[in-house]
Amino acid sequence: MSEMKKIKNLKEFSTSADRFEGANLLCPGCAHSIIVREILNATNDDLVLSASTGCLEVCTAVYPYTSWDASWIHIGFENSSTAVAGAEAMYNALKTKGRLKQPDRNPKFVAFGGDGASYDIGFQWISGCMERNHNMMYVVLDNEVYANTGGQRSSSTPIGSSATTSPAGSISYGEKMNKKDMMGIMAAHHIPYAAQVAPNKWKDMVKKIQKGFATEGAVFINAVSPCTTEWKFDPKDTMMLTDLATDSLVFPLYEVIDGKEFNITYRPKNVVPVEEYLAAQGRFKHLFKDEYKYLIKEWQERVDANWAYLQRREEAKV
Amino acid sequence: MAFDKMELRDIEVWDGNFAAAQALRQAQVDVVAAYPITPSTPIVEGYAKFKSDNYVEGEFVMVESEHAAMSGCIGAAAAGGRVATATSSQGLALMVETLYQASGMRLPIVLNIVNRALAAPLNVNGDHSDMYLCRDSGWIQFDAFSPQGAYDLNFIAFKVSEDHDIRLPAIINQDGFMTSHTAQGVTTMDDDTAFGFVGTYKPMNDMLDFEHPVTHGVQTEEDWHFEHKARQHSDLMLKVSPKIDEVFADFEKLTGRKYSQVECYDMEDADVAVFCLGTSVETAREVATEMRAKGVKAGVVGLRVIRPFPFERVQEALKDVKAVAILDRSSPNGAPGAMYNEVCAAMYSHESSPLISGYVYGLGGRDLTKAHLVDLYNELETNVKAGKVTTQLQQFIGVRGPKLSFL
Amino acid sequence: MAKKGWDEFEIGAMLRTFDGSIDDIAGTRQEDRSYSENSSYMASVADWRLIKPVFNKDYCIDCQFCWIYCPDVSIISRDKKLIGVDMDHCKGCGICVEVCPTNPKSLLMFPEQADEETEIAQWPKKDEEEA
Repeated sequence: MSEMKKIKNLKEFSTSADRFEGANLLCPGCAHSIIVREILNATNDDLVLSASTGCLEVCTAVYPYTSWDASWIHIGFENSSTAVAGAEAMYNALKTKGRLKQPDRNPKFVAFGGDGASYDIGFQWISGCMERNHNMMYVVLDNEVYANTGGQRSSSTPIGSSATTSPAGSISYGEKMNKKDMMGIMAAHHIPYAAQVAPNKWKDMVKKIQKGFATEGAVFINAVSPCTTEWKFDPKDTMMLTDLATDSLVFPLYEVIDGKEFNITYRPKNVVPVEEYLAAQGRFKHLFKDEYKYLIKEWQERVDANWAYLQRREEAKV
Repeated sequence: MAFDKMELRDIEVWDGNFAAAQALRQAQVDVVAAYPITPSTPIVEGYAKFKSDNYVEGEFVMVESEHAAMSGCIGAAAAGGRVATATSSQGLALMVETLYQASGMRLPIVLNIVNRALAAPLNVNGDHSDMYLCRDSGWIQFDAFSPQGAYDLNFIAFKVSEDHDIRLPAIINQDGFMTSHTAQGVTTMDDDTAFGFVGTYKPMNDMLDFEHPVTHGVQTEEDWHFEHKARQHSDLMLKVSPKIDEVFADFEKLTGRKYSQVECYDMEDADVAVFCLGTSVETAREVATEMRAKGVKAGVVGLRVIRPFPFERVQEALKDVKAVAILDRSSPNGAPGAMYNEVCAAMYSHESSPLISGYVYGLGGRDLTKAHLVDLYNELETNVKAGKVTTQLQQFIGVRGPKLSFL
Repeated sequence: MAKKGWDEFEIGAMLRTFDGSIDDIAGTRQEDRSYSENSSYMASVADWRLIKPVFNKDYCIDCQFCWIYCPDVSIISRDKKLIGVDMDHCKGCGICVEVCPTNPKSLLMFPEQADEETEIAQWPKKDEEEA
């Protein structure tokens, strides 16, 4: 096990030498790269990375340019998890056989995927990797929509959101299904570590990522990634939106150890009404019409109920 | 923990599946990521048992689908080591997306395909629908006609595929059940000789070289994509064939077993010939011998290397024959047979060409009997005498109901 | 980058980030790395920008909020101090300005063609209401 990188405060963190480069093609204000930077900078160990087809992938490896300063692979939409699992298996094989070129390294294996790649098309692959408990981390960049292809609904898209395949219209308030509880499903694999993170709470995030890197076995991370293009807010407001997401408890920050031990890691001092979170985004604009206001009320009730549930799980330690 | 070597008899009685599993063991594959499917399952099971009994030192990852199997193989191959797996039919169909990605990324992976029909209707028996499915996937494709071939071609495939001038994945086809589950004598190599032939894997562009980070699997659009695909095709067309010859020659030197990209049997003076794949080659050889006893100058051509298609060698093999039957063991579904088309393309551009007729046979494991082949040779003789193809160009053989022929 | 012919590049569309060998990437600052021409570090997205951040070091407290929340690795911090903005990689999103906690802000957005020295000379005063 390698030594954990010391990151006491932001000043110390800022001495990190990034292994992710600018002049990638992500939208201005995209939260994906903020999350990626916080994760990669959480360790000084070598990295073996993968990404599923999606915004992160198509914007960081368009020939003849790469934005990655560590080995990286993309295969398809559904299999970034298994790609990295395969690389991890090869690492183990070469270690056993004494054929590693740099045997003194402690590489970390990290796969990235959007919510479309993770909640939907790549679900089975991730489940397989978690069940087999590969020594790897899977990170969902959860922007609740197929952003790369122009805003179609995924199973992470929340009720009432207007997506291009569940558009709000004269007789529809948009998406009808509730967001899939991916954290719950992944934790039910009884993997050693699962956590929900947000880039605004960088310290919480770095702590969890470091915990994940120190874990032997499969780690699942769900990261909220506000999407300026599809959530429809000004690029400058990405961090404000992330604050609203965590402080309204729409995205509660917590971790689950071995599928059992629940820890809520962030309790906002002033909980923001869900209405404020919804009002800041164009995708929910139609909910503020009189006929749909009941949905905002339901949203608040749902978030409250989930928060109560998480707290009960934490207390009960089950 | 060091792994154990296995004592083998000079000749073992193995079916094609076990022969392939033994080859993977002896090649000391670093990572096998696999998913079971009939009829290739025993390859994976055999390998798993070797692992459990400490005959294998590499990693064995039992994934949750064939797509994941090849995804894991791609990740492992990009990481930098020897990689192999096995599949059939529907599993291959699920895997197809990743086949193109493996070859496009120029990653050497060896895939044993135990050929089986494609549903619907569901069928577990052998035909070449799955083989044809990955025809254009950019993989090198070998065809074993017997368990011996399944064993030998695995070593040959690793050696060709992993060569730094080649770096293309390779498939070894064998017929479902007819080869995979039929035990025959297989002349073996001892573990050291077998591994010595393939040698230790030499990494290239490996992700685990932390001092030289690489990006694999980029996006290329209209400004670059064509060039990359052109490069891959060019390497398949120009580099692979000489490399296969070289490795075949090395293998013959080591074992005395000779392989050719186009296998010709009794073809020196043949008037009529059957051109086919898989176990049918062996049946056809037997019938050809019998036909010769009856005074018919019959020969057989078996395609050992399907991709890259040995265009000139097919021309060479068929240029002096008077009539040839091209056998396709896959429903063309609205066209002449694929192998028929490819051979026709080769012969059309050659100054001398035989009369070429196509036959579709053996779908879903239907037997190709000796009687079928006798009829077929006689039909070719009739064509030779008439100086033209006297039948329709595409005939179905061995199917019940009214005679089915087209074109 | 020049458009190469089909026979002029590495097989498999593989890209290398660096020229030659690099021993400890995480311990090597960008200016000390030998990036290959294929690293996007060598490219520029400056032409994406309509507005740009201007940094006024007089008010900066080196809190590093802008460093961590910059999506484009464009806030250059060295030895725990903010020393400038990488204008080749900044896309002008304005996050750095939003997260800047000083009063007045140490980073403000201006039209792309604005003159930096002029803007710094006319920097807004402390906003009493907000304080």
